[in-house]
Amino acid sequence: MDSFIQQLINGITLGGIYALIALGYTMVYGVIQLINFAHGEFFAAGGYVGVIFLSFFTGLGYMESYPVLCLTASFLLAMGYCAYLAVGVEKIAYKPLRKEARLAVLLSALGVSIFLSNGLMLTQGVYDKAYPSELFQGGFHFGNVTVGYLQILIVSLTATLLVALNLLVFKTKIGMAMRATAQDKTMSALVAIGSNRIISLTFAIGAGLAAAAGIMVGLYYGSVRYDMGFVPGIKAFSAAVLGGIGNITGAMLGGLIIGMVEIFGAGYISGEYKDVFAFIILIAVLYFKPTGIMGENIDDTRV
Amino acid sequence: MSKRSLSTVLMGMLVIPFMISMVSAETLKIGSMSPLTGPYASDGTDIKNGVLTAIEVFEQTEGPIPGYDKIELFPQDTVCDPRQAVAAANKLINLKVVGVIGAYCSSSTIPSSETLDEANIIMITPASTNEQVTDRGLPYMFRMCGRDDDQAPAAARFMKESLNAKTIFIVDDKTTYSQGLADGVSKNAKALGMDVVTHDHVNQGDKDFSAVLTKVKAANPDIFYMSLQGYSPAALMCIQAKRMGITSQIVTQDATFQPKFMEVAKDAAEGVYLTYGFTDPTTPEYKAFEEKYVPKYGKIAAYATYAYDSTIALLKAIKAAGSTDPDKIKAELMKLDFNGASKHVKFKENGDSGSSYIAFKVVNGEFVPYWDPEKGLIK
Amino acid sequence: MIQEFKKVWKQYSITMLWLLGLLWPLLGIHPDGTLSFEKTVTVWSYILAGTFVCLVIYIINSSGHLKIFTEPVVGTTRKFSGIAQAMPSWIWLCGLFVCAIIYPLLTGRYATDVAINVLLYICLGLGLNVVVGLAGMLDLGYIAFYGVGAYTYAILNVNYGLAFWFCLPFSAFFACIAGCIVGYPTLRMRGDYLAIVTLGFGEIVRIILNNWMTLTNGPNGILGIKPIGILLPVMENGFTFEMFWVKKLAVFYYFALALAIIAIIAVKRLNFSRIGRAWESIREDETAAELMGVNTFNYKLLAYAMGAIFAGLAGALFAARMRFVSPESFTFLESVMVLCMVVLGGMGSIPGIVLGVIALIALPEVFRELESYRMLVFGSTMVIMMLFRPAGLVPAKRVGMRSEERE
Repeated sequence: MDSFIQQLINGITLGGIYALIALGYTMVYGVIQLINFAHGEFFAAGGYVGVIFLSFFTGLGYMESYPVLCLTASFLLAMGYCAYLAVGVEKIAYKPLRKEARLAVLLSALGVSIFLSNGLMLTQGVYDKAYPSELFQGGFHFGNVTVGYLQILIVSLTATLLVALNLLVFKTKIGMAMRATAQDKTMSALVAIGSNRIISLTFAIGAGLAAAAGIMVGLYYGSVRYDMGFVPGIKAFSAAVLGGIGNITGAMLGGLIIGMVEIFGAGYISGEYKDVFAFIILIAVLYFKPTGIMGENIDDTRV
Repeated sequence: MSKRSLSTVLMGMLVIPFMISMVSAETLKIGSMSPLTGPYASDGTDIKNGVLTAIEVFEQTEGPIPGYDKIELFPQDTVCDPRQAVAAANKLINLKVVGVIGAYCSSSTIPSSETLDEANIIMITPASTNEQVTDRGLPYMFRMCGRDDDQAPAAARFMKESLNAKTIFIVDDKTTYSQGLADGVSKNAKALGMDVVTHDHVNQGDKDFSAVLTKVKAANPDIFYMSLQGYSPAALMCIQAKRMGITSQIVTQDATFQPKFMEVAKDAAEGVYLTYGFTDPTTPEYKAFEEKYVPKYGKIAAYATYAYDSTIALLKAIKAAGSTDPDKIKAELMKLDFNGASKHVKFKENGDSGSSYIAFKVVNGEFVPYWDPEKGLIK
Repeated sequence: MIQEFKKVWKQYSITMLWLLGLLWPLLGIHPDGTLSFEKTVTVWSYILAGTFVCLVIYIINSSGHLKIFTEPVVGTTRKFSGIAQAMPSWIWLCGLFVCAIIYPLLTGRYATDVAINVLLYICLGLGLNVVVGLAGMLDLGYIAFYGVGAYTYAILNVNYGLAFWFCLPFSAFFACIAGCIVGYPTLRMRGDYLAIVTLGFGEIVRIILNNWMTLTNGPNGILGIKPIGILLPVMENGFTFEMFWVKKLAVFYYFALALAIIAIIAVKRLNFSRIGRAWESIREDETAAELMGVNTFNYKLLAYAMGAIFAGLAGALFAARMRFVSPESFTFLESVMVLCMVVLGGMGSIPGIVLGVIALIALPEVFRELESYRMLVFGSTMVIMMLFRPAGLVPAKRVGMRSEERE
């Protein structure tokens, strides 16, 4: 029983991580219907910039005196950095292709993804970079069950961001502009919505979320690596599609389901086939509900 | 830019590789194959650096090889993908290299060695421990590192004799290397009368091991044996094991012999045991290597030393043979009997060089020799 | 020229400043609490110099100042294309064919090896083209069929000693079955939902290959696969047959060439057949196609099966050539690469795909000299190519027009 509860907690944490990455994925998709393959790399870049600033503050000696302040600053700096990166990438690699076939942008996104992960490798070295490990280690112990502080932090951050994003998209002017741009760029331009600005903003928010996820993952696992964006990128993409791509709450749900299935698959059936279980659930759900759990019925979309 | 000029440029790019193969005749060409990009780039870079250091040291101590001005290295990237490894091997054949140091992944070494064998080129692998690498009977295949079936019995004996283990939980990450070793450990441990509680697997590229670690915690074995390819997943697993409060002794293997392991895992690495070929860091050969390597590339990792020794062995044999004839070089390689940086090098009939695996323990962020199969505990 | 430069200098300098801002945190902030600018500025100035040279060449070219150099080149190519159009296309094809035949005689091992990879991937690319280019279904797990084909030959050959020519139809058959298994549940899905499900299938196949120890030998892969054997008549002691094992790359090249030619002809025939038209109608508008009486279900399944068959054949040849298969050859990245070849070349266009394959197989090989920088350059080349040729290197000629294009 203890180990079941422990696995449940593991599953929620892993799901929270996937959801955190998937939120950014789904935001971008919702507005410009682009599978942004480079999202995983924004996530990795966020993790790297986070560790760079954290160790910089540690080197300056601020870390002991103001840990929370340093952490918050690193968070904000990494999010800002990734937003800055993403806006530039969008302008250079995606915007000129907006009118072309959707696969052209997809390919360009892949190129960016390869470029960024190798750029990280060349500038940051081929070895893992360790996070300062004193932060938020330890946790609560209930008998044999351990709940780390970081696990709580990850899940609560995901939940907070979920609420914040929903508020942003459905309750603010900017959100309204985003939804309008998503539906029809020409029409929204006619009612004086700068669709380019909105798209840039969406990219910035998406990448900022990815950066936050990157730091959380770095803190949780203790290190970052140049190729860390690839596998979680695919998983988060699956999660976003499972929940109904473009739907924020769906992404959260999809992330949780994939995380849970993986942990319970590995914990109770077989470790090596855990990804198979995750994908089978995905295929089964999409077979019965071809647009994902919370997705609306879409019209034909051409490749 | 007009469409036409773009395509002209493209065609021009395609012609380049076929023209590069012209290099002046006075350089002795050797190749290295290792993953320089992709998930194993760190180990691949260690290998390349080791080979470069060896060339430098060799040129300084032994002087130039008669008939050649200098030794040039052609490092090739395999990405740990068999197709690209074979392409790299063919490229090296085209470059007319005399010998090749590589590759890293056994799954790259095996097909590329067959290709190199067709062109009668000597290949010395510094890192592929799978039995099949030398067991296929290829005449020009040599191995500087140990074999999985050497390491597994040593590890099992260590757990039995030194740690007095009764129950073992084994995890591997489903690569040729890690799984071969884990199977060997499992078999040897059973033969020694230990109980293998579970043999579980994770996948390559995983970061989250909480599911399997929860199982370990529930089983509470004496030993938790991790067989993972590379130091990076091993470090992640140690951190997560510590966080989960697992009290079993962690034993792991030679792929973890990388100073970065302690840097990442920090205090979670303390007390971890691992088996690795015995290397005496006080020998003059090791010192010579260290002197050149450390200032340029940082701390020495597992495969850099083996790559260094492989290159030295190859160059020594070429010099002794006085020609680039593969059979003569092979004869000289078999005659070699010298102290390398990692160990005493003497090739056996099948191309293996053997190794004496001992157990190391991580103490205060350093790998400290801990136990020797012959002598027992090392003080 | 100055005019041209005025147009772009602002964008260019903003991009370069953006890059500087990106590079500095990565290179200039050190864990010991110090900041440095030297390295960042050095790296940045290299990039600045490199891109500036490219920019200047580009501007000079587009403003026509390079005419002295380009004119003779363009003139001769134009002259040649004039002659080319005057000549019937079969002469061209014959010329190409002869070039392909004598290619391994003229080049070394390495070039032949790269050429074999190109030919195998042409077959893969054409198969994927059936699914993506003709039927319009995004497939991110295509390499799984390649893996099924390769493993079928490997297992049948190693375990049962069956010859290559006997296994070849089985490879195609099993790949086709796999295609139908993937195709069936995905037929209801469209667009990106389809993409993720095919991705999932691709991963499932790879994981199974990596874990089913008794059948596939897991990550160790299958060793000792026999190369292709052909019976050659020997005249020495009377008339007998002798088994000849195709081990030499140059000989193997011709088998790969034959497969690629068969694939090209087959896809061309398919494209202009009733089936090909049905696929195109599904791609353009599935609902309309269904209304017009096209059985979309069957045709979509057929597209998957056809695509998978090509991959299966290529896979069997791949196994025979490497004489070793392991799951590392069939990763998601390979699927993506094949998709890139199709899209980069121009979906639905056969010469385009051939060019795309040559570009994407040869480019990483060209960049081999750059060692660890090669994937970085490769990624940026992909983006640049897409920016300059978004519809592919040789876009397919469309039959008819889409409704929104007419507006």
